[in-house]
Amino acid sequence: MSIGQSEGSVLRLSNIESSYGPVKAIRGVTLRVRESEIATVLGSNGAGKSTILKTISGVLEPVKGSVEFKGRDITAQDPAAIVRAGLSHVPEGREVFPLLSVRDNLQMGAYTRSDRDGVARDMEAVFGYFPILRERAAQDAGLLSGGQQQMLAISRALMAEPQLILLDEPSLGLSPRLTKEIFEIIVRINRERGTTILLVEQNANMALNAADFGYVLENGRIVMEDSCAALREKDDIKEFYLGAKESGARGERRWKKKKTWR
Amino acid sequence: MNAIQSPERMPSSVPAAPLTSKALAALPSGVDTVPRLFAHIAAARAGEVMLRQKELGIWRAYTHAEVADIVADLACGLVQLGLQPGEVLSILSNTCREWLWTDLAGLTAGGVVNGIYPTDAAAQLQYLCADSATRVLFVENEEQLDKFLEVEEQLPAVRQVVVFDMEGLARLDHPRVMSFEALIGAGRARRLASPELVGQRLASRGPADLAVLVYTSGTTGRPKGAMISHANAMAAVGTLQDFLPATRLRERAAFLPLCHVSERIFGAYYALLAGQVLNFVEDPETIFDNIREIQPDVFMAVPRIWEKLYSSVTISMREATRLEQWAYRRALAVGERVARCRELRQPVPALLQLRHAIARRLVLDNLRRMMGLGRVEVAITGAAPISADLIRWYQALGIELDELWGMTEITGAATCNPQGRSKPGSVGVALPGSEVRLSEEGELLVRGPQVFMGYLNLPEKTAEVLRQDGWLRTGDIGRLDDEGYVYVTDRMKDIIITAGGKNVTPSEWENQVKFSPYVTDAVVIGDRRAFLSCLVMIDQDNVEQWAQERSIAFSDYRSLTRSEEVIALIGAEIEKVNRQFARVEQIKQFRLIETRLGAEDEELTPTMKLKRALVNRKYAALIESMYAGRPGA
Repeated sequence: MSIGQSEGSVLRLSNIESSYGPVKAIRGVTLRVRESEIATVLGSNGAGKSTILKTISGVLEPVKGSVEFKGRDITAQDPAAIVRAGLSHVPEGREVFPLLSVRDNLQMGAYTRSDRDGVARDMEAVFGYFPILRERAAQDAGLLSGGQQQMLAISRALMAEPQLILLDEPSLGLSPRLTKEIFEIIVRINRERGTTILLVEQNANMALNAADFGYVLENGRIVMEDSCAALREKDDIKEFYLGAKESGARGERRWKKKKTWR
Repeated sequence: MNAIQSPERMPSSVPAAPLTSKALAALPSGVDTVPRLFAHIAAARAGEVMLRQKELGIWRAYTHAEVADIVADLACGLVQLGLQPGEVLSILSNTCREWLWTDLAGLTAGGVVNGIYPTDAAAQLQYLCADSATRVLFVENEEQLDKFLEVEEQLPAVRQVVVFDMEGLARLDHPRVMSFEALIGAGRARRLASPELVGQRLASRGPADLAVLVYTSGTTGRPKGAMISHANAMAAVGTLQDFLPATRLRERAAFLPLCHVSERIFGAYYALLAGQVLNFVEDPETIFDNIREIQPDVFMAVPRIWEKLYSSVTISMREATRLEQWAYRRALAVGERVARCRELRQPVPALLQLRHAIARRLVLDNLRRMMGLGRVEVAITGAAPISADLIRWYQALGIELDELWGMTEITGAATCNPQGRSKPGSVGVALPGSEVRLSEEGELLVRGPQVFMGYLNLPEKTAEVLRQDGWLRTGDIGRLDDEGYVYVTDRMKDIIITAGGKNVTPSEWENQVKFSPYVTDAVVIGDRRAFLSCLVMIDQDNVEQWAQERSIAFSDYRSLTRSEEVIALIGAEIEKVNRQFARVEQIKQFRLIETRLGAEDEELTPTMKLKRALVNRKYAALIESMYAGRPGA
């Protein structure tokens, strides 16, 4: 059984169920993220991807199930405590502080830290990843472009010196080129700093190329899990997530095959 | 098989005399083919609603007159396409109004209509069209059309393909493909030019002529095309009309595949004669929602549907409050006692009657309404075996579920449980006009006007089942009781003879285990083996929910079937069933099927049951693993 054991896994979710009022958004999700890997959760709109991340970071209290971070139960703990424990969440839609400068936004990311030298070092590191942020350091974050705001949001999360980053749709609203750039840096961060990443994406092509292990979420439930290399070869993934269609006898096809998830 | 009796003493051997049913005798003379029946009924009930189908979420009703108009246009369209009397047209579609219209139009034009399962692949379509010599093929939509286009070179005899739903095909330009609307348009023009055409074509075929082809899904080898004549079909609907009680209201849900003989006869032609309104469900996936909307008065379904409805109630009861659970148990217990009295033909004591009235009012009626079966007056199960306990559960609920037994070769049903005198576990008594008896080997034989014409192009296969004396070998073994009720034990070829020489009929055990909400289907294995084992297909929804309630970790379907707790759950269900059987008939080992199977998979029949022979072959390795390292394996 691929799930069930915890050796080497930084994060473990067991049978998480979360609801918004009476609406069940995720219905029993079990997954794990191994040390130093990039894991991804694929799924369409409303599949429950963001809900999973919110439940992990403590923003949302699950109805059922448990979240374990570095072997410790953090289910429904105070989000601030979870950040201190080394888990940062980059929310969907970036959510930078628009009226603070770029530098202050980054400082906010380091709010929980007291090692000034370390913070300065990390500030240099993120400027290394995203040189544009150094140029705009004094500007209000609200004046940045969407892509720059995404860079800032990722950098702000890095400033907390996390062991695990939760990334919610970094490609949202970005041009294909910018998306590619950001994904390259995400992989760099993972390789250079050893930061474990749980990435939630609609852009399956990008996510499957960047990540090591993937889960497919549909209607609040995981329907498939495998290494990304294997997932890329699955028929259902090709058809429904990568947009590759057998063109059929007519050279065009509108109808959808039935998903079998095998 | 100790109940074998000689044919002369068969209590249920109805004399072959009354071949014409009362219902058919009441029709004017000359109404002796299906299309003439339709023409007669449509004229008599012109203004009444015949069918409904949802359009953008709203039920659209069609009167008999409207349908008759469309059917006449379509029939003339088929003539325009060159369809000669006796030529075959095939329909590849889910159950929908166009299916029925095309069927009636094809028969009106003098054609022979063959249904093809929408889950069939291109290769099967190719075989069925070629074997039946299909001239015109009707397909539901783009998806089904693509199957034809894949094999079109191998089907030169198909003159024209007609597409019901042209969505996504606006730019298609193919000499052999046209839209349903275009065919109706062409037909209307032809009909205006020659108004006598419909009448001529209606007269072109008689009762003895071939009307319908139904391909039976052979578990081994190619499917065989069963030939059903107009007389067969008319006899089949006439006997149902004679036998089944007439209902006050006449709504029914149409959702089973019309290519299957049961839905064709019961759902389409019998509904026509009985004046029932057909409500076509939106999609095979929305059946249960649609049933709640329709609240049918007449409900015929395959065991899979009855099992699913039952498990939805048991599962939702588990989530109910304690008071609700208590009320359910108490009410059901009262219902069971009443049903028991009826089954034993004993009067229901007055006090029990009173308690039953209260139980119905407070609990059972609500439950039935919730299922969508609040108004059901005639409830029928057939086409596959069902557990007697499941029938008893429905009877306790106040739904008299009557099992019927039949097959394609008998044009639907041969026996049915009479309402008010049903015996759960039996398939009832012979329908009027049919005779049922046992052969010397214990095989059930049927004779009557419903017995089919034979298999298309397969005289040897026909000779194997159709005896010289007119009796049909059904391939089912069974027995009859002294009141003429028929009990089907199993399919003859499914009998398992264990290494110890014990004859076991697997379906009894299988039906019992399917009663579990966690089991969709099971196949018992053990022919020439030391002990019996089985493969189980779990009910995904219910097992997932069960696992979730207990915080059992799983991700995808496979990991669910591999979870130790789930295996233990199924093991416990199997143990429960084992207790009702003798030692040699108990299951000693089992495995769960780890792939989620759907209608498209070859392992399943159109009624969503596992195919025994195929499962035995396909899962040979899994089966061997149960016998590895055990004595006699």
